[in-house]
Amino acid sequence: MSVSDRIDAASRRLKRRSRGDVQTLVLALLAGSVAVAVLTPLLWVLNSARSVPLDRFFDILFRQTTLDIFLNTVVLVVAVTALSVLIGVPLAVLTAQTDLPFRRLFTVLAALPLVVPSYIGAFAFVSAFGPRGELADALAPLGVEQIPSIYGLVGSVIVLTLFTYPYVFLTTRASLLSIDGRTVEAARTLNHTRLEAFRRVTLPQLKPGIAAGALLVALYTLSDFGTPAIMQFDVFTRIIYVRTTARQVDFASIFSILLVALTVVILLAESRIERGGETSAYVNRGTDRPGVVRLGRWRWVATLFPLAVAALALALPPAILFAWLGRSTPELAGAAVDFQWEFAWNSVTASALAAGASVLAALPLAYLSARGDGRLSSLPERASYVGYAVPGVVVGFGLLSVALNATPFLYGSLAVLVFAYVVRFLPQAVGTTRSSILQVDPQLLEAARTLGKPPLVAFRTVVLPLVMPGIVAGAALVFLTSMKELAATLLLRPFGFETLVTYIWQVQEAAAYGQAAVPALVLIGISALSMLVILGRERYDVKE
Amino acid sequence: MTNDDSTCGDRSERPGTRSSRRGFLATSGVAAAGALAGCTGLFGGDSGDYGAPDYDAADAAMEAMALSEFQGSGAILEGRPAPGGRSMEDLPNLSGELSIYLGGGEGGLYLQLFDVLEEVYPEFSYRSQSKPSSELALQIADEAQAGQLQADLFISIGAGSLGTVVEENATRPLTEETVEPVPEAFVQPDRNWVGIAGRARAVPYNTEQLDESDLPDSVMEFPDADPLQSATGWAPTYGAFQDFITAMRLQEGEDATLQWLEDMQAAGIQSYDNEFLISDAVSTGELAAGFANHYYALRVLNGSPDRPLDLHFTRGDAGSLVNVSGAALLDRDENAGLADVFVRHLLSAEAQEFFATRTYAYPMLPGVQPVGDLPTIDELETPDIDLTELANTGPTTDLLTEAGVL
Repeated sequence: MSVSDRIDAASRRLKRRSRGDVQTLVLALLAGSVAVAVLTPLLWVLNSARSVPLDRFFDILFRQTTLDIFLNTVVLVVAVTALSVLIGVPLAVLTAQTDLPFRRLFTVLAALPLVVPSYIGAFAFVSAFGPRGELADALAPLGVEQIPSIYGLVGSVIVLTLFTYPYVFLTTRASLLSIDGRTVEAARTLNHTRLEAFRRVTLPQLKPGIAAGALLVALYTLSDFGTPAIMQFDVFTRIIYVRTTARQVDFASIFSILLVALTVVILLAESRIERGGETSAYVNRGTDRPGVVRLGRWRWVATLFPLAVAALALALPPAILFAWLGRSTPELAGAAVDFQWEFAWNSVTASALAAGASVLAALPLAYLSARGDGRLSSLPERASYVGYAVPGVVVGFGLLSVALNATPFLYGSLAVLVFAYVVRFLPQAVGTTRSSILQVDPQLLEAARTLGKPPLVAFRTVVLPLVMPGIVAGAALVFLTSMKELAATLLLRPFGFETLVTYIWQVQEAAAYGQAAVPALVLIGISALSMLVILGRERYDVKE
Repeated sequence: MTNDDSTCGDRSERPGTRSSRRGFLATSGVAAAGALAGCTGLFGGDSGDYGAPDYDAADAAMEAMALSEFQGSGAILEGRPAPGGRSMEDLPNLSGELSIYLGGGEGGLYLQLFDVLEEVYPEFSYRSQSKPSSELALQIADEAQAGQLQADLFISIGAGSLGTVVEENATRPLTEETVEPVPEAFVQPDRNWVGIAGRARAVPYNTEQLDESDLPDSVMEFPDADPLQSATGWAPTYGAFQDFITAMRLQEGEDATLQWLEDMQAAGIQSYDNEFLISDAVSTGELAAGFANHYYALRVLNGSPDRPLDLHFTRGDAGSLVNVSGAALLDRDENAGLADVFVRHLLSAEAQEFFATRTYAYPMLPGVQPVGDLPTIDELETPDIDLTELANTGPTTDLLTEAGVL
């Protein structure tokens, strides 16, 4: 090889590398701006808290009511999470490791309550067990004058537990299925009883799975606005909403910060458990499943547990909704707008736009995180998760302020609402896209490049088709969760733009239960589809 | 819509209930369903004064519209006299698309009226968004500051919210012609808002649990009333309740109001999300009494006439405040004329009959009677308060917060 050839080759290499650097830079810039955009609402909230005078700040912070709300919130989160573990783990064990009859059916039934948006559950429970509800009506002729109140902490805990425990159930079940049966057998040969073996061998291995599910439950509980609002239980989300609509920015921003701080605490707590679990547990993805526990004569009795849970979470809400369907109470309930299918169409439009935008925004984040080198390259991806952890009511409050103060021309536009959904749900698209990109061999792209294709063409023709399933799944998740988002939609919907969710909220407020039936059933139906997508990703392996 | 035949004869004997110039009565009187309108002479009265345009589709639709389209039905509406005042038929046509911010839950009932107007005027359509009035007022203030008003018209279920938007210079005046038939007390001095329906604060009480004599005549004595301990309800987040507290603050001062709020809580008052729920709870015995606008009780009774529910009015204090639902034109370049004519329609005899018989509100036109055995507006001993001052809700919210109510 002559010297000039060598120089040629070297300069080609250099050129390619610098071109690569430019690409990486563009990608990083793209990803960085997405991350900044997504963080804007939260930054705005932090900033508006900064503008509160210090004495006012501490005055609000140390009020008795602030303390009460803080305690209410903590008690609610702890209670719901603990109860979800108490329901989710036994159900997972029953369906994964015993000879429970109809195991497959019960597995699906136990996962399904995720399909019911919790505020619809709350709505159904209030109408069933509230002071003027179905139960009270049914008991009235028997001389029962009052039933214990469902409102407040009790009702919030019951409803949130019933509709979020499946997170624990699914993650625990996934861990159970991946446990190496030989460790359990080993414990048994060491003369451990089944229970001891479970406690000493199985449980430690389950801890990360349970913790992952508990994290989801805790975060959901912390961020849920609809259930505590319907149950009239004062937690941060409800108060932030009230303060925001009253334009009491100081209260709203300080409470938002407290809420976000609680979110961070939960995330930290979970990461500790998870790391602890990883180091101490014997991890094996082996195929040796632990032996099935024979329940013996308890076999049929054991079905009562999943049956009772399913009856409360799955049978009751639709039953109540169908009961309302046949009833008209307009005169009594006063006044709400009649349901129009346009509301459903609006929901679909906004959610579809959010899904499209999320997928586009997710691509640079996911690509950079999957292919980039170094810690910095996954920073934008990590940043995008902040919006996911921040409750919808805070995102809505932040975006409302941004739109009014910084971009008035966007105020009241659909764009702001769609952006709120992107902020909230982008990580779902990033996650699925990233994992599909990771599964694509990077050399495929290089091969295409050596065949002379420009980078974008190579990406489009080679990589994109391979990552498409991940992108579609991400879009579907964003779409379906956007359909259900309540607080941000209430705060940001454009003029004259009612969605299924805002409509349900309005008739709920007007106590016109009958009118909520159709949209609530439609929403449950649509949410059920999201279950198919999640299960289709096979992360939770319901099939056994 | 079935109870009116019996009163038909009375009505037709009234003078001045002749048919309009277009033979509306003759036409609709022929139709069986129109028999009612035929004898009420609803669309009668002076005609031609408003420069009526040529007979067109809107007029035809108007003729097909019977009073029953506007009037409610039910036991408490029997024997109503025909509404007097300016008829809708004598107003200019509505045409174009109107954007309306509509305050509050039962404000939703107004949509039925707007829908009728859409039917009458094929050229007219409206879009609306409903939220609590106080929330909308703040939103409109924000929008005005940002120069991004989203609606042409603000219909609020309380004068306080109307005052807020006026203070923020978010409104433009209504025409003199539009507000002309409404008593002065219910028109903002610069015509920036006009009342379209009245609502009185009242105390719904359960007649099986309480005698009216158990209830004090002064709202300030409620915390000490023995039969009311742990058996009373309020809806502190509700705009009308906050207006009521504002009135108390204006009349009794901040200290007394704070004391009252604290005493009521010490007496075990229970919080509800809205005042319909309170009235319903009183009628079922869940509560003995409550604080609510008058019409919620009537609405409960019209659905379930046998419930032991009645209304008590306090004397000359915030407990019997008469507030108004009102309309304000928002200061937007588009649709100002349309919005003004629309408000004129809300103040027509037909619309006022609608408000009186379907929302059980106090009508704003002297010629239209309130329903049932409600005291007339002049029989109520209302507090001497300028309704516009109800706009000053800031100190009220502070008081409610300080008392731990909000």
